[in-house]
Amino acid sequence: MTDAAVDLHDVRKTYQMGDQTVHALDGVSLTIPQGSYTAVMGPSGSGKSTLMNVVGCLDTPTEGVVEVDGVDVTTLSDAERTALRGDEIGFVFQTFNLMPQQTARENVELPMTFQGVGRTERRERADDLLERVGLADRLDHKPNELSGGQRQRVAIARALANDPAIILADEPTGNLDSETEAEILELFEELNAAGNTLLVVTHERVVAEHAERIVHLFDGELEDIERIDQRRIAGEGTR
Amino acid sequence: MKLGESVRMSWRAITGHKLRSVLTVLGVVIGVGSVITFVTLGASLQAAIVGDVATSSPEIAVTVGPESQGGPGGGGGGEAVPVFTEHDMAQLREIEHVEAVVPTGQVGIAALGHGNDTVRWPSMTATTRDSFAGDSFQSGGPFEVGANEAVLNPAAATMFAENVSAGEEITVEFAENDTRALVVAGVLNESSGFAAVAASGTPAVYVPTDPFYTTTAESPATGERERAYPQLTIRASSYERVDDVEPLARDYLENESDASQLKPDSYEISLTTNDALVEQIQGILSTFTNFITGVAVISLLVGAIGIANMMLVSVTERTREIGIMKAIGATRRDIVQLFLVESVILGVIGSVIGTLVGLAGGYAAATLIDLPVAFAPEWFAIAVAVGIGVGMLAGIYPAWDAARTDPIDALRHE
Ligand SMILES: Nc1ncnc2c1ncn2[C@@H]1O[C@H](COP(=O)(O)OP(=O)(O)OP(=O)(O)O)[C@@H](O)[C@H]1O
Ligand SMILES: [Mg+2]
Repeated sequence: MTDAAVDLHDVRKTYQMGDQTVHALDGVSLTIPQGSYTAVMGPSGSGKSTLMNVVGCLDTPTEGVVEVDGVDVTTLSDAERTALRGDEIGFVFQTFNLMPQQTARENVELPMTFQGVGRTERRERADDLLERVGLADRLDHKPNELSGGQRQRVAIARALANDPAIILADEPTGNLDSETEAEILELFEELNAAGNTLLVVTHERVVAEHAERIVHLFDGELEDIERIDQRRIAGEGTR
Repeated sequence: MKLGESVRMSWRAITGHKLRSVLTVLGVVIGVGSVITFVTLGASLQAAIVGDVATSSPEIAVTVGPESQGGPGGGGGGEAVPVFTEHDMAQLREIEHVEAVVPTGQVGIAALGHGNDTVRWPSMTATTRDSFAGDSFQSGGPFEVGANEAVLNPAAATMFAENVSAGEEITVEFAENDTRALVVAGVLNESSGFAAVAASGTPAVYVPTDPFYTTTAESPATGERERAYPQLTIRASSYERVDDVEPLARDYLENESDASQLKPDSYEISLTTNDALVEQIQGILSTFTNFITGVAVISLLVGAIGIANMMLVSVTERTREIGIMKAIGATRRDIVQLFLVESVILGVIGSVIGTLVGLAGGYAAATLIDLPVAFAPEWFAIAVAVGIGVGMLAGIYPAWDAARTDPIDALRHE
C-alpha cells in the first residue's frame, strides 16, 4: 500500500492511423498522491482526455503501468476494472455522457443502482447532490431539456454519487458561467478537504490555480509539473 | 443489480424509445402471427380434406365364417352364424378408445309394401342407433329403439312405385298372415356410409334390434339366453386409434369371448379394418403434419430473422449508452440482464398480440375460403417460445458483445 492514489509509469497510448502513428500519450510518468488536487492543462489534442481515461480505467494503455491504490490495473480483468470504476472512481466526461432517456435524478442514481444501493437511499442522495450543484428544481428534466451547463452539473453530481475516492473531471467548468463555476470549484474544494483525490482537466488558468499543482501536457508528453504557491480558494472569492 | 431494478429500467427504455419498441414488437407480432395464421390454415385444410375423404367412420368389422374362405371384407362367404352375444358387445365396449359396438343381424321376411305396391323381399337388417352416427339423412333421422320404425337407404326408398320419405308407413310381411306396419323414421343420403350396402345400390331396410331381432344364444359367460349376432362393427374414437383397438379386440374375441365358444370349430372369427381408407387418411394426416411443420418452420424462420434484426439494430443503436453504463460501474452481467429483461418484455407483448392476430388471421382466412376452422395449439406454444427465445438471443448477443468492448470504444460509438 503506497500513499499514491494513482501511479503512472512510462504510459504510452498510440493509435495507428493507416501508416501514421498517433502518440496520444508518449511516455508519461506521474504520481498522484492520495488526497491531492491536480489540474491538467495543455493544448487541444495534447492527450488530456486520454490521460484521464487511462487513469480512470476506461482505457488501457498501449504500454506502461497504471497503478490505482497500488494495484496494476493493466493486469485486472474487465470485470475487476468495472468494479473499481464503480466504487473508487467518479468520472465527469468532457462530453457529459448522460443517459438520454433518463431524468437528471435517474442519471445521478444510476451508479448507485449498479452498486446495489436501495431505492430510497439512492433517491435521497441524488436529490442532495443535485441540490449541491444547484439543480434542485431540475430533478425530473431529461438531458435534452437541460442547458449545456446544467448537463455538465448533472454529470458532476453523477460522478459524486458513490462517494468515490478519486474524482476525474474533464473540463467540468467548460460550459459554466463564473458564478456556477465558483460553486463547482467550491464543491471540489470541499471534496478535497474531505480527503478525495481530484484530477481536473481545464483550459483556464484561473480554474487550474485552485489546484495544488498543474500538470502541463504537450503532444502526449508531460512537459512540466507546476506547483501552485498561491492557490485560489473559491469559497473566499479570491478571483 | 436486482431484477426489479432491471425491470424498471428496461421498462423505462421501452417507453422512452416508443417507435423502436413498437417496431420490435411488430417484428415479433409478424413472426408469431404468421406462424399461427399459416398453421391454423393448414390444420383447417387438413380437417376439410379428411372430412371429405372419410366417408365412413374408423371401423373394424367383426365377422365369423369358415376358416379358409373368410377373406377380407368377409361376412358374405359361408353361413351367417349368430355367435356374438350381448355379453361380448359389452366386453368390447370396455376396450379403451372404443366408441361404439354396433351389432348387425338379418331378420327374415317375405315381402315389403308401400301404398298399393308390394315387393317380395328376403330380409331386413337389424341394428342399433349407433350405426347411424355420422350418417346423414335425406329426410328424417335414426329410428328409436323399441319402436316400430325403420330407416331406408336410397335404393330401398325408391324400389316401390312411389318414393318413400320419412314419416310414411311401409308394411312388412314377416310370414303369411303376419303383416306389420312400420313408420319410416328416416331415409339415408346417397353418400352415407353405413355398411357397403348403402353405396352398392342394393335396397336395405334397417330396423332396431329391439323388438325385431329375435335370434338368441345361451351365453357361456353369463349362462343366459341373449340376443346373438353374426356380425359386429367396432368403431374406434379416431383413425389413429384403429390400430390400438384392433389387437385388443382380436385378443378378446379369439380367446375369451362367447363367440369363440359358440362358433363351429371349423369357423374363424375375423376382424377387418378398412385398411385402404385408414391408410389413406393416415397418409393425409401425416402429409399435412409435414406440410404444416414445413410452413411453420419457414414462417418461424422468417419471423425469427425479423425479430433478430430488430433487436440487433435496437441494441447496436445503444452501444453508446452501454458504454456510459459500463463507464459508471455497470458489470457486463448488469447490461446483459437489462437487455434480456427488455427483450423478454417486448417478446411477451409481441407474442401475446401475435397470437391474437394469428388466431384472428387464421380464422378469417379459413372462413374466407370456406374451410372448417381447426387449430393446432402445439404450434402456438412453439411460436410463442421461439418468438421470445429469438428475441432474447438476438437481444443478448449484441448486448453481451457491446458490454465486452472497452467502454471508451463504446462511448466513441455514434
Ligand atoms: N480513437 C482514436 N483514434 C485515433 N486517434 C485518437 C483517438 N483518440 C484520441 N486520438 C488522438 O489522440 C490525441 C489526444 O486526444 P485527447 O482526446 O486526449 O486530446 P485532449 O487533450 O483531450 O484535447 P481537447 O482539449 O480537445 O479535449 C489527439 O491527437 C487525437 O487525435
Ligand atoms: Mg479532451
